[in-house]
Amino acid sequence: MRFRHICIVCALAVLAIYGLLIASLFYFFDGSTVLSALGSRRVLFSIQVSLVAATVATGLALVLAVPAAYALSRYRFRGREAVDAILEFPIIVSPAALGAIILIFFANPMGEWMQEHLLQFVFAFAGIVLAQFITVLGVAVRFMKTAFDQVPPRYETVARTLGASPSRAFFTIGLPLARRGLLASGVLTWAKALGEFGATITVAGTMAMRTETLPVAIFMRLSSADIEGTVALILVLVVIGLVALYAAKFLFRERRART
Amino acid sequence: MLELSGVCARAGAFQLKDISLSVAAGESHVLLGPSGAGKSTLLEVIIGLRPLAGGRVEFSDRDMVGVPAEKRGMGYLPQRLALFPHLSVRENIVYGPRSRHLKAAEYEPVVDALVEATGIGPLLDRRPDTLSGGERQRVALVRALAARPPLLLLDEPFSALNESLRHELWRLLKTLQAKYGFAILMITHDLSEGFFLGDHITVLIDGAIQQTGARDAVWRNPATVAIAEYLGIRNIFGGTVVGVESQAVVVDCPTLGTQLNVAVLPGTPQPVIGAVVSVGIRAEFVVLRDANHPPKEGEFVLEGQFSAVTVAGTDVTLVFEPDGKDLVLEIGVNRRLLRRFGVKVGQPVTVGLPRRDLLLFTS
Repeated sequence: MRFRHICIVCALAVLAIYGLLIASLFYFFDGSTVLSALGSRRVLFSIQVSLVAATVATGLALVLAVPAAYALSRYRFRGREAVDAILEFPIIVSPAALGAIILIFFANPMGEWMQEHLLQFVFAFAGIVLAQFITVLGVAVRFMKTAFDQVPPRYETVARTLGASPSRAFFTIGLPLARRGLLASGVLTWAKALGEFGATITVAGTMAMRTETLPVAIFMRLSSADIEGTVALILVLVVIGLVALYAAKFLFRERRART
Repeated sequence: MLELSGVCARAGAFQLKDISLSVAAGESHVLLGPSGAGKSTLLEVIIGLRPLAGGRVEFSDRDMVGVPAEKRGMGYLPQRLALFPHLSVRENIVYGPRSRHLKAAEYEPVVDALVEATGIGPLLDRRPDTLSGGERQRVALVRALAARPPLLLLDEPFSALNESLRHELWRLLKTLQAKYGFAILMITHDLSEGFFLGDHITVLIDGAIQQTGARDAVWRNPATVAIAEYLGIRNIFGGTVVGVESQAVVVDCPTLGTQLNVAVLPGTPQPVIGAVVSVGIRAEFVVLRDANHPPKEGEFVLEGQFSAVTVAGTDVTLVFEPDGKDLVLEIGVNRRLLRRFGVKVGQPVTVGLPRRDLLLFTS
């Protein structure tokens, strides 16, 4: 077998592994259960909480991630290597451990003060957003740095020699040129936030109609041996996630074709 | 207009050392140097993209230390142009004036005139990726000049173009300079480009200025053997000063097997007897002699034969090997001269080295 064929077989094996897992869901697929799940107030609330929390967490992450990624891509500064290294922190620490770290933070005087005077996070909607935000922030910065890295800095350099301030060069040149990559990064970040489970359940708990996200709802159904219900919710999550991922893939492909 | 005094800067392990030069208003100043000489680094220091490690940069009587690139008011045309790919040609051109908060009434007449002078009117609504190489150069030139900078810095912008397009753009640049009166500081490693565009030439090698002066003076009298070699002079012979006359020395050249009387340039130190020097002559100043064109008085004559003929376009280089001497001489002629003398490899020939064209290098 030629090297090319070996590589292609490996690529198809990846598809087969995930495809097989998704296909196995249909063994327990029951259309009426899916319809009844989609009509359930509790499930609809879970979907709504998941979509809103993922969107807010992604939005907050982007506010910090875009300028941070730009700094990592364009500037050399003290602490740059440390920032770059910490981006993988949420990946190397398990989500449950990350959630535990957040809980421990709120158990210290500063965290307690924040909960009393600013916002209740533990076992609250804000906790879901915070858990997702913490989980996706590093990844978002990493994705966005890659998007900025793909834009040669000479465009902003020339903009500055033409009289543009660094911020004008960023907003009129750097950002528009990286927009497709940034948009794709945003979609991937959102998809990751949507599927977040470990940190969310640790910080926000599993309170139905309060802090139950779609992944948490899946876990709860599985815990009560409701396989058909679990499959129905998984399919909802898979559909939402796949749509987001295909959107990101499409945007990346567009970018490659253009550059 | 632009005054550099004792400028030092670093780029990794590379260092720019004690660079002092000035560019007068309306002047065309060319920084010549081989790759890695520090030309681009120096330009980055001037435009404000690289910090100074020492010295001063003054522009329009203002100290530029701490002044960011966007506030220096210089025009800049980089090697890779960097036309903004997401903007139309028109948007690219007005980007500078708008960034400098100029009113439309101030910049539009200038932009219109530049667009007309460069013939890019039909391109204004197109995107840069749809333009040819020459069109991109014109657009980048207009963009750099749209805010009427008094000084235009050029970082080898024409190096990737073909010969005829380069000549066309050199002439366009000269025309625009004559019309708008801006000064030019251009860096290039291309000698023909440098000597075509520069009124004043500075030679930069290994991060230090080796020679600076008016174009013709630098071309006629390179200060050192290194500069002479960089400027394409390959006929260089070592020797020792054996006699001193008024504004001239007699140099014993063992490789030529003779003593040459070489003029010492006014204002340059007279070498003493025993000094080790070099004597050079440009290939194009070595003359072919025959019965119809006998050697002139004071001309050093060599008998020998051609060992190779290299033709590059209209320029022809003859490789000449004198009889009984261990050296090779290059002779630059054009095709017409080649035909007139009917030059052939292996054919016996006489060549002359005119005294007035001999160069003396004391360093």
